[in-house]
This record gives sequence, structure tokens and C-alpha cells, in this order.
Amino acid sequence: MIVQKLKEEAARALSRKDVKYLIGYKKGSYGFRISPIFIEPKEDIDKLTFSPLCNMSLVKYVMMEETLPTLTEQAMKPSKIALVARGCDTRALNLLIKEKGVARDKLYIIGVSCTGVIDQRKIEARFPEVTDPADVIEENGNYIITCNGQSHTIPKEELLADLCTVCQYPTPLIYDKLIGDKAASRPAHYDEIKEFEQLPVEEKLAFWQQQFSKCIRCYACRNVCPLCYSTICSMDSLNPQWVWRSVDTSENFMFQIIRTFHLAGRCISCGECERVCPMNLPLMKLNRKLEKDAKELFGYESGKDPESKPLLTTFHSEDPQGFIL
Amino acid sequence: MDMLILKKDAVNEFLASLSGRYTVWAPVQKDSDTVFEPFGAGQHNVLDLTHQAKIIKHAIFPQTEQLFSFDQNDQIQEAIPGDREQNILFGIRPCDARSFALLDSVFAGDIPDPYYLVRRDTTILIGVACTEPFANCFCTSVGGNPCGRDGLDLLCTDLGDRYLVAVFSEKGTELVNKTASLFTKPSAEDMKQGQELSHRAERAVKRHIDLSGITDTLARIFEHPVWKKITLKCIGCGICTYTCPTCYCFDIQDESMAQKRGRRVRVWDSCMYKEYTLHASGHNPRPTRVERLRNRIYHKFKFHVDTYGVFGCVGCGRCITLCPVNEDLVENLIAVKGAA
Repeated sequence: MIVQKLKEEAARALSRKDVKYLIGYKKGSYGFRISPIFIEPKEDIDKLTFSPLCNMSLVKYVMMEETLPTLTEQAMKPSKIALVARGCDTRALNLLIKEKGVARDKLYIIGVSCTGVIDQRKIEARFPEVTDPADVIEENGNYIITCNGQSHTIPKEELLADLCTVCQYPTPLIYDKLIGDKAASRPAHYDEIKEFEQLPVEEKLAFWQQQFSKCIRCYACRNVCPLCYSTICSMDSLNPQWVWRSVDTSENFMFQIIRTFHLAGRCISCGECERVCPMNLPLMKLNRKLEKDAKELFGYESGKDPESKPLLTTFHSEDPQGFIL
Repeated sequence: MDMLILKKDAVNEFLASLSGRYTVWAPVQKDSDTVFEPFGAGQHNVLDLTHQAKIIKHAIFPQTEQLFSFDQNDQIQEAIPGDREQNILFGIRPCDARSFALLDSVFAGDIPDPYYLVRRDTTILIGVACTEPFANCFCTSVGGNPCGRDGLDLLCTDLGDRYLVAVFSEKGTELVNKTASLFTKPSAEDMKQGQELSHRAERAVKRHIDLSGITDTLARIFEHPVWKKITLKCIGCGICTYTCPTCYCFDIQDESMAQKRGRRVRVWDSCMYKEYTLHASGHNPRPTRVERLRNRIYHKFKFHVDTYGVFGCVGCGRCITLCPVNEDLVENLIAVKGAA
């Protein structure tokens, strides 16, 4: 049982002298929600869980530690954060380590082989307004869902998050402990991107203008992205103000294009930006276009390999240059 | 208070008869979302939507609002909305209507805000009783009611093929009189059914918290470790504040326009942002997410109570439903109470 193993490994991690706390998943407060949980040594690990509902990445929490000024001698001695990570999360970690965003020795990674997670929108459309926390387990290609005192069996593919259907790296790529057997990769494809690429430029522009007109600039997509970790984001900069605080299609466009460009050759397809968007913007359409280009033009996949250099820091004379005007 | 019956078949005619004189806003289905926006011809099912419109306050308090424009010769053009633009907000929930009643006391306070107040005065609020509350509704815990009347001009209760319409204000009476032929008198049975639905709705609210004494509790636990505990998972985005119908913080900015003109705008601000309360010196009294999330709870359950005598929360549950990391206001309030 994966949850039992996870608890054992979590207890082991928290008993280490160098681990200050562990970040994992627990059942959410209602319905199909899952919640992050932060456990310090000696605290109860009983709430820790892992299920197909664990559709959020915990990597960003490693990057979000806000440290108040402390005297050097007061700095916390145990320095590692223990983290429950799925395949895509470890791709983010690989890249973060390579970019020196976080040091490998500050992490204790409990990798969990992931067979795909449920799209919250899909399951909540199927079972709306569920108040009590529900249970989901995966069994023989189905999800067994227990909610409102009833049990339902639903084919996995009907609820699986879209990105998981093209996930090539479901098994963690780096870890200190690995839980679960190697999960099967799925074949990657970019069918929906290729289809979109065929549209005339006016139609593409009209599509994105319509989408970005809905953006409310809550910055949830930025804040949740494990790879958006600038200490001063250009959206927050006051002097100069790169983007007006006015929320309109033009400024929203600017924000979203900056956000996307900063993920060129970096996005690891965890899909967090799209998951958290309260206005349901199809943000992965942009990210996957860049991912496709990186793959086709440079044979590069971000975060796949802990040793390969970030794409935009390398140059080869044989690199394609057709896009340079 | 007048009670009337409006047949559901007649709703479209009712709206059509108003759409010439008023801009009618309603919850509509758009790209699998429920949004609240000016209601166009050919859109249907506005009152039967099973999901909550994500944002409601922009109808009277827009996210971006030009206050005035100016040029290099100090020529200033004010942009206060005219009172000829009449709006109807149709199909809002009683909690949403109540949120406007709360905003009224803020914007009509010491310094009356003409931008908000003109739009508010020219807006008629037609509610639909919340006979089937959503999963995270907790209106009854903060002084509201799924069939409450605060802020509303009219309230429609769904009786199957017809609405029982309660008229609460002069504005409401005027509106009904203009389209009098569409309304009939309710039977005793209709009245009874309406009351039963109202009682049932109150019992159907699933989430509860006893908030008596919370304001005094908050006065004592400003520095308590519970704040850090409940904040750890917050990612500091603006979803809870932007979708909150009672959050009204705004920022004022000057922006350049074409033809050497500039404009002063007011835009929604969020206490979850780093830039919020950032001083010119670079100091920020709320340096981390802990102080920011604490501020949001203090504002709604202490500062607003101290200033206006009521909670600054209507219990609509949007911040809970839309939070991507399951920061749950009810759960957090329970933790805060437990800390005292």
C-alpha cells in the first residue's frame, strides 16, 4: 500500500537530524480537494496521504520560504526540506538545481511513482457540490470514488488530467527514496498544438485576445509555477513599471506573454498554471507550444536530466536560426 | 412588502421590456464558466445555473476604473459615470446583494465616493433566493440568510413554473409597476410554498461556524503561532480577494495614454500581494504571507466590525471554492478560535 510506505518513509525522513520539516499531501477540507501539509519533526504524520487526487505540485513551497532577518547564529541548523514529489515534480527539481534556484543538499526527496492524477474540474463537473471529503482509489484502469456515502466506478481516462495522458516521466527522475514501481510512460504528442498552429494568424490572435480578456491578474499562475521564482518579478516592479496595473486585454497580454517567454525551454508540463486559473485560461497551450519547439528545434527536454544545461544557456553553431529575423 | 407572481415563461419578456432602458447584468454560461456580465439577446437559463458566478462586484465596482484623464496643459476631464446609465443586476444571490449593502457603508462613509455611489444609485438588484446553497456556503454563520433581503430591491423564489417575487423597495415597486401586466397576485398556497422553501434553504446550508466573540478573540491573538500554521500553504495569489464580493481595497495609479494624455485609474488591489502596503522607504509592515493572510481575516472579522458593526464577510464561500491550495476560511477561523 503506497500510503503506508509513504508514511514509513516520511517518519524516517523526519527522524533525520538534518530535516527541518516535510511537505506532503493530506485530504482537503471538502469534496475532492487535496491540501498540502507541512509536518515538523515529532508532529503527527497520520494525515499524510497520496491518491489520484494529488493533482498539485508541492515544489513551489520549497521556493517560497520567506525568511525574516535573523542573526547568523540564529539560523536554523537542520537545513533540509523533505518533499513528496511525483515524476513531473522531479523534472522541476532537476531544473531548479541546475539553475541554482535550490541546492540539491537542501532537499530530501521522497519520490512517488505517479500513474496520473485526476483533473479537479472533470471530477467536480461529474459530482458537483460535494461537501464531505471524498475518497478515490485507482483499480484496474478505473477510479473507485466514494462520496456522499456512495461508491462509483468511473473509467480512469474520463477523469485523468489532460497532461497526464501525454506524460513521459511519471516515475521520479531524482529522489532520495522512491515509493512504488516504475510507472509506464505514455507516448507524447502535440496534436492539439499542431492543429492550433495551422490557424491563420488573425484567428490565433483573436483566440488569445478573447482568452486574455478574461484574465483578472490574480497571478495565481505565476505564484504556483515552480519555475517562476524571481525575487522581483517584472509584474511587481514599480520603477520601472513594465506593465500597467490596469487590467485590460492589452496589459494582460503583456503579462501572459512575459510569463510564457520566461518559461521557454524551462516549463516541465506540471500544468499547475492551468489548474489554478480561476478563469479557466488554457495556459498550457502556450507552454506546450514552446515545449514542442524546444524539442523539435533543439532536441531538448527540460528537467529530464540533472546534468544537461538549461536550453537558453547553451549555443551551438549548428543550432537552427530560422526564427531570427 | 408586496408579493407577486411572475411566470417563468414571462421572464424573457420581462427582461426584454427592461433591456431598452437598463443594462441588464445576469449570470451567464460562457466557455464552461459561469460569469456575471451584461446579458445579451439569445442567452438563457440565467437563474437555473448550478454554479456561482465567480465575480460579482465588478458590476458596480469595476476592476479598472478611470477616475479622470489629463494632458500636459493641466486640462482635466473627470469620468464620473452619468446617472443616465441605469443597470439591473438580475439573478444575484442574497449573499451577493448583501455584499453591496456592506460596500455601501464603506463607499458612502466619511468621504463619499461618487464613482461607486452613482453607479450604485442607478442600479436595481433583483435577487434569486438561494434555495439550493452551494457546498461552501456559510452565510448563516455571518449574519446572512439564503433568502435574505439586505441590499435587494426584488427577490425571486423559484416555485417550479413561476417565481414568487417579493418587492422590498421603492425602486422595486417602480420597476414592477412598469411591467405590471406580467405579474399576478400569489395564492395562499404560493405564499406557504415560498416560506417552506425559505426554511428548507436555511437548513440546507452545510457549513457552519459559531463566530460569537471572534472579534474579541482576534484582539488577543495577533502574535499567535496559529497564523503561521494556517498560512504555510497559501501561495499569495489574489484569487480570494478578487473573487470576494466584499473585498474593496484598491490602488490608484497614473498611466500614460495616446496623444500625450494620461489618466488616473483605480484598480483592485489585494492584501495578498507583496506590493500592498509597501512603503516608499522599502519597508513593508506585512513582509510575508503570514501577515497578509492574517490581515485578510482581521479586516473581515475585526476591523470591519469595529468600524461598521458587522462582519465584512457574507459567507458566499467563493474564497474557499476557488482557492487552488485549499486555504479554507471556515477551517482557518476554526483554527483561530481554537488558538484563543
